[in-house]
Amino acid sequence: MTPVLEARDVSMVFGGLKALKGVTLTLDEGKIVGLIGPNGAGKTTFFNCLTGLYTPTTGQVLLKGNVLPGDPAQVTDAGVARTFQNIRLFPSMTVLENVMVGRHVRMKQGPLASLFHGPAYHRGEKAARDRSRELLSFVGLNNLDDELSRNLPYGDQRRLEIARALATDPAVLLLDEPTAGMNPQETEATQQLIFRIRETGVSVVVIEHDIKFIFGLCDSVSVLVQGELLVEGSPETVRADPRVVEAYLGKPPEEVAHEVEAAAASAEEEQA
Amino acid sequence: MSVLLQQLVNGVMQGALIALIALGYTMVYGIIQLINFAHGEVFMVASYGGLATYTWLLPEDLKKVPYVALPLMFVGGIIVAVIVAVIMERFAYRPLRNAPRLAPLITALGVSVFLQEFVRNVYPNATSNLPYPKVFPEGALSLGGVNISKTGLLLVLLSVGLAVVLQTYINRSRMGRAMRATAQDPDTAKLMGVDPDRVIVLTFIFGAVLAGVAGILYGGYLSNINIDMGFQTGIFAFTAAVLGGVGSIRGAVIGAFIIGLIKTLAGQYMPGGTQYDYVWIFVVLILVLVFRPQGLFGEPERVRA
Amino acid sequence: MSVNGTSSGKRSALAPLGKPFAIVGGVLAVVAALLPWVTFGLNDGNWPDKSTLQFFDAPFEVTGFRWHMLLLGVLILVATFAPIPSRGRVIRALGWGTALVSFVNGAYITVKGGGLAAITALDGAVAFGSIAGLVAGVLTILAAYGIGFEPVGQWKVKLSTPLAYLVLLASFAAVLYAVAALLTTGGVGAANPYAGAIFLSFLGFAAGVLGALSGVGFIKWLSALSEQHRVFSVIVLAACALLLPFTDAGNEYWMTVAANIGIYAATAIGLNIVVGLAGLLDLGYVAFMGIGALVAANFSGAATAHFGIALPFPVAAIIAAIVAGIFGAIVGSPTLRVRGDYLAIVTLAFGEIFTRSAQNNIGGITNGSNAIPGIPQLSLFGAEFNKSLTIGAVKLPAGVLYYVLIVLLVAATMAVFANLKFSRIGRAWIAIREDEDAARAMGIRTGKMKILAFLIGATLAGLAGAVFAHKNGTVSYESFKFLESVTLLAAVILGGMGSIPGAVLGAALLFVLPEKLRDFADWRLMIFGLALILIMRFRPVGLIPDAHRRAEMIERADENAEEAHEEAKRA
Repeated sequence: MTPVLEARDVSMVFGGLKALKGVTLTLDEGKIVGLIGPNGAGKTTFFNCLTGLYTPTTGQVLLKGNVLPGDPAQVTDAGVARTFQNIRLFPSMTVLENVMVGRHVRMKQGPLASLFHGPAYHRGEKAARDRSRELLSFVGLNNLDDELSRNLPYGDQRRLEIARALATDPAVLLLDEPTAGMNPQETEATQQLIFRIRETGVSVVVIEHDIKFIFGLCDSVSVLVQGELLVEGSPETVRADPRVVEAYLGKPPEEVAHEVEAAAASAEEEQA
Repeated sequence: MSVLLQQLVNGVMQGALIALIALGYTMVYGIIQLINFAHGEVFMVASYGGLATYTWLLPEDLKKVPYVALPLMFVGGIIVAVIVAVIMERFAYRPLRNAPRLAPLITALGVSVFLQEFVRNVYPNATSNLPYPKVFPEGALSLGGVNISKTGLLLVLLSVGLAVVLQTYINRSRMGRAMRATAQDPDTAKLMGVDPDRVIVLTFIFGAVLAGVAGILYGGYLSNINIDMGFQTGIFAFTAAVLGGVGSIRGAVIGAFIIGLIKTLAGQYMPGGTQYDYVWIFVVLILVLVFRPQGLFGEPERVRA
Repeated sequence: MSVNGTSSGKRSALAPLGKPFAIVGGVLAVVAALLPWVTFGLNDGNWPDKSTLQFFDAPFEVTGFRWHMLLLGVLILVATFAPIPSRGRVIRALGWGTALVSFVNGAYITVKGGGLAAITALDGAVAFGSIAGLVAGVLTILAAYGIGFEPVGQWKVKLSTPLAYLVLLASFAAVLYAVAALLTTGGVGAANPYAGAIFLSFLGFAAGVLGALSGVGFIKWLSALSEQHRVFSVIVLAACALLLPFTDAGNEYWMTVAANIGIYAATAIGLNIVVGLAGLLDLGYVAFMGIGALVAANFSGAATAHFGIALPFPVAAIIAAIVAGIFGAIVGSPTLRVRGDYLAIVTLAFGEIFTRSAQNNIGGITNGSNAIPGIPQLSLFGAEFNKSLTIGAVKLPAGVLYYVLIVLLVAATMAVFANLKFSRIGRAWIAIREDEDAARAMGIRTGKMKILAFLIGATLAGLAGAVFAHKNGTVSYESFKFLESVTLLAAVILGGMGSIPGAVLGAALLFVLPEKLRDFADWRLMIFGLALILIMRFRPVGLIPDAHRRAEMIERADENAEEAHEEAKRA
């Protein structure tokens, strides 16, 4: 079976700096893949290659076997949606409008319909509104339609951003540090949300610092260090790999191993 | 051949004038990313300030002594320019430092219209061209059929000289270092003990001094002034600053010379002649902004993630 | 905002004085209305509304500005005692209204009367009206700071559709009445030597009342209501506008002024698409109006036109709109690579290229500084648009047909704007304005959308330009210079970016004020420059902000005000 998203040997060079050195990543349908690595490892650069913001210097990114175009708008159209590390909603649009912007690529409304508001316009708008409301309730934001997005509490803004991304009907959802700044309850809720997203058939890539969160969430974890893919595999494999412990955490191995063990244990507990 | 040489000389002189103003644009943009649209008007106001100094402040007998009158006019023009620039920064721009990006630009337009109309209404007879006093070195040197006006020569020398002084100051002095730090990263600079307000005011003052010098020299070089001079020359200067790469002192000066040359050469050789010289400069401006917005000497901006 | 920070100390000191000050202010305003204002008959004739000592003949016949003062005083007292939301805001607005009315009248009387003797006690005659009024205004404003500023009132009242229609109808009728009053107050041009003062005084009163309505939350509620019933609102508004010729303003002079305002309002709405919705600053926008006007002029059959053919107006207008639209797309194309301030400069450069080329009669189509005169008047079934019209027993003023045409033009532009705003395209524009990178990540082809904004804006301007050409009979490049672009931009900003009523109000103010204030003709542009600076400093959202933007900007102010309020309480 063709993987839904595949990065083949992606390298990215800025001036003289090699930010990515032949990174390969495979995402199978209905899976959650985690991407971890220390600061400056090239996670965000890699993400930008996946979303079309950067065109890889060498290598390709394929969606269902087709090469992704080198433009963020077209990438979204093709079926890859994303959220941002530092939330980037449209602050003075309402919650509902934010999600409806996400419907942009899936709406058939042409310039004439926009101009004259005929029956087709009303049908299309209603469909978009309904779908948007459905997604808002899916992420747990009910009865906030007319609230300005900038007025939402932090956690709700994150969820709104996910709803907005889902509104583009993506095959793959890329989440850039979805739990940054969240408390344990919110993090837990986000984990459940991502599981539910997977159940709807959307495959997910997550960048995250929180190892415990990643190990508890992902089907497979990739570790990026200094622009190179260090290890890839199931959370268990990655957790057991001494190189990860050393390179990623930069602490004496036994101490970290202990921490990782604890994290994994508690993650398992939660899953059970 | 001598026509070409003459136009080259004229172009260099106009470029020198433009350079003095372009430096003000480039420094302010470098520090606070503001297109200070009203900077051209500061130059205009300085020109009138110099004229006012001559007309009303100088005693009759001193008016006849150029080497006393001229420096005093420079002082008068510069003082007016600095006062205007400081007021403008303090009351129009500073309150908007965290406002959405279009707000300061619109304010700058307002300041520009205000200053122009203020001078028109307040300065006697400002509705028509006013003659500038003859206190500048008169006549021209003739070199192989090419006339080099002495005032023009003074203009080039002052312009290049001041640019070098400015560059040195920014590179060597403590305050210059503070300016560069603020331009790079205002927040970090603040943490390091740099007072951004002081740096910014100082930047405006430097720009105003140079515009003041330019204002007086403009009067001497073209022998009369009008209230439209600020807008037109200001646009040339802005174009020069962009061409050279906004934020770069050297770039602004080189850009200014290029603009001066384009203006005179296009007026001579392009279809439409001097009626369209202005248009060619705008064409250059558009092309530069579209194809090389970082200018000839600027660093390309990195794409934001 | 820093203002709040610095004034919070003052506010806490004022807190206990809030109510007493408001009561004294209100009473004093009423008293001022009943006092004489001038000590002697002025050279140009008595100050209006029996405010000179003639007042003693009929002390309680209160008209004109004295009636406004009385009303403001009563409203202040009502606002002090009635249970209304956001009392501080309401009282502050009323206080400013009182102060402005008093100041305008006082200042004019002083200047026209040749000194302070005109407004103070002299020769035993008592004329403290303006001073009492000013004191009342200042006290009331201070009272407002003492009371503190709560957030603008939120009205949760939901109306059934027929009731909503009724409210909207009544509100728009009130707007029509206010507009007619605003236009006719003080009379036409030089007929009344005090026209300027009467007009400004009325403006001060209107500003006070509007501010109070806005503070109490009525305006916000009404605009939400009219947005809900968009189509109905536009129809009623157009109908109201069409009724203007039947009011006191129905004479040739005001028909002409109103038609000119309409042309600029339509253009300003077009600009509002580019600036307000898509967030792209266009500093050369008036060039598109110029292109439209030149195209229409050249196809009008005017003697000096380049093409010796006279196309019917609708055809010429469509060609004008299309040509302007094409140029709009060309000017907009750098948006693919240029952002923000730099884009503004590119549009400025294009505008200047247009002006220069037109000035030099490029291709022989503009006639340079000779302009294209003699463009024929429009006519319909033999009725020329600039003549008066008699329907049955009703004689309508000259120029009424142009007025009607332009009202329809404005209504059409408004409809285009409103429909686009609430569509897939409009949402994309607003998204681009808010965060261009995030918009791209939502699959919006930002380049295409931005060029579309330029194209539509330019098309509307071209259409307005075609009407302009026939209405004025002459087209010269002089009408389409940089300053006109800035004026249009100012209209958009003053009214409120992204808001339709704002653009109309902005255009109306910027083009009516010069008509009314001939005393200040020379100072017009200077005041206008100053106004731009002050608006950006104190009310960047404009007078009638778009719901979104208002929320964005006011809420920030509210947060600060609330904090200050809390502080005041604690102190």
